[in-house]
Amino acid sequence: MTLTKLVFKNITRRRGRFVFTLLGITIGIASFVTFMSMGGSLKKEIYRETAALGANLVVIPKGSCGYEQLSILTGDQMPTNISAAEVTSIRAIKGVTVVPFLAQQSAINNKPVTVSGIEPAATLDFKRWEISAGRYFQSPDENGVMLGSAAARQFELKPGGSVTIRGEILPILGILGETGGRDDATIFLPLPLAQRLFNAADNVSYAAIRVENLAETERYIEEIRVATGLGVVSDKQMLQSVLSIVGTVNITLQMIAAVAVIAAAFGIVNTMMAATYERKREIGILQALGARRRTIFTLFMLESGFYGLIGGLTGVIFGLATATLATPYISQNAFTTLVKGSGSGSLLDLNIIISSIFFSALVAIIAGLYPAWKAARLTPVEAISYE
Amino acid sequence: MNNPIIRTEHAAKTYTVGEITTSALKDVSLEILQGSFTCIVGPSGHGKSTLMHLIGGLDRPSSGKIYIGDTEISTIVNSDLARLRGQRIGFVFQFFNLLQGLTARENIEIAMMLAGVAEPEQRERAEKLLALVGLAEKAGSKPGQLSGGQQQRVAIARALANDPDILLLDEPTGNLDSVAEAEILNLLQALHRQGKTVVIVTHSDEVAKRAERIIRVKDGLIAA
Repeated sequence: MTLTKLVFKNITRRRGRFVFTLLGITIGIASFVTFMSMGGSLKKEIYRETAALGANLVVIPKGSCGYEQLSILTGDQMPTNISAAEVTSIRAIKGVTVVPFLAQQSAINNKPVTVSGIEPAATLDFKRWEISAGRYFQSPDENGVMLGSAAARQFELKPGGSVTIRGEILPILGILGETGGRDDATIFLPLPLAQRLFNAADNVSYAAIRVENLAETERYIEEIRVATGLGVVSDKQMLQSVLSIVGTVNITLQMIAAVAVIAAAFGIVNTMMAATYERKREIGILQALGARRRTIFTLFMLESGFYGLIGGLTGVIFGLATATLATPYISQNAFTTLVKGSGSGSLLDLNIIISSIFFSALVAIIAGLYPAWKAARLTPVEAISYE
Repeated sequence: MNNPIIRTEHAAKTYTVGEITTSALKDVSLEILQGSFTCIVGPSGHGKSTLMHLIGGLDRPSSGKIYIGDTEISTIVNSDLARLRGQRIGFVFQFFNLLQGLTARENIEIAMMLAGVAEPEQRERAEKLLALVGLAEKAGSKPGQLSGGQQQRVAIARALANDPDILLLDEPTGNLDSVAEAEILNLLQALHRQGKTVVIVTHSDEVAKRAERIIRVKDGLIAA
């Protein structure tokens, strides 16, 4: 017999209580892991999308906040009030390459899809896309669409077929090669066609800019602001502001999960307190047999720590399973669409797994302190005489 | 052989609950010799069990001194007292007090575990002790699967686990029929013959008859 075996026997003796206490901590840790995994995946995706955008600067409508910047990365619908004249005046600045985008949303078979109006030649040059099937646009105002690889897969579309956007049947010209970013889930239209379909006159949503001399980024920003009065952010600023929005959401979610874990911790306290009362006589027997107070304390601490460890493990398993299974069903909005786009494999983060199990064990150990102390301070005669 | 192994000097115990103070034991001085078979008898509520708790180191006297061998146990620190209980004293209680979730063998092993005995040795010795009390075949049975007499024999085997000098038994046959009572008393006499100091707290005349010496406790005092 060892202390650990005794702990295991004590726990499994009352199976019902064991299972329910374990469920409490499992649910708490599972929600913690789910939110952490999704949050982590969201961050990774934001970095990837920012890199995939390939811009040093982004011009956005005046008065835009972080949400518009987030929409650029998520492919969400955006206001379209940057005029062609403003794009032209940005282009007049020396040392900048400007690519305007019209960011819209449409639906195919009732499923939302990102639609982007582009200048075909300039965008191809800017993004360095490859064509995996069919062909690319041959003129700036060709009547047709190019599909991102994931969009083609999702809606089972191929070149030669057609899609209906805003009631207009458009031929599919080709499919872009895999980019690993948001472009994969987007349908691209030539800008004039997109502007007509979405009644955007000659306006665009935002413009991606690449500068010749990175050291002079601040100067370019200033020049664009003076020329157009529009908002200009660098890729780093955009990353910062988007991450800060996502960070706030993440922290909120994690706090909710932490509340669940704390509630579960009180479940452990409750179970351990009940064990202290129920096993008063047993504590007395152990003391009569030579158990020191430290041994009784250790016995109870091991028991609650065991709950934490097992609960942490099962919580991580359930949490990762939930994150993986739930991700495809998350409704489309700016925050969750990125998670949706990411592969489930990226949800497995060793840091999250280890820190969650550690957190669970720590919470359980803290929860066990008071009951263990109560058990250890019983005097042998008080415990043994308990009826 | 004739040295006192248990000694009390003016031992007294009072309990205070709220504002009421009860004197459970008043000024008890006694000596119990090594290897003796002693019964402490007396009516219920007169201080027998309190005396047993004090000489077994389960409780501390309010005043006076208690010695086990040369060790004055009323003032030693808790951890030393626990070690002394584990190694020098074997307890047996009226209600057997076996741990219900464990088998007979595991109940015996626990006592050795607490004394730091290695697992293989625990198992070997637990099996020998079960054979000694005639329950070799019940090693894997849980207390609920054993009769009262069998449970008490397991409790005696557990009390012997760390080869203590003293066996302290509180009404060991109080819950047994006469056949089981005789078996237990025969076992205790055999252990006494092997050199153990046996001290039984009882109000049974049948048990007291087997003792070499009877100490009567009445109103918290040793009666003449």
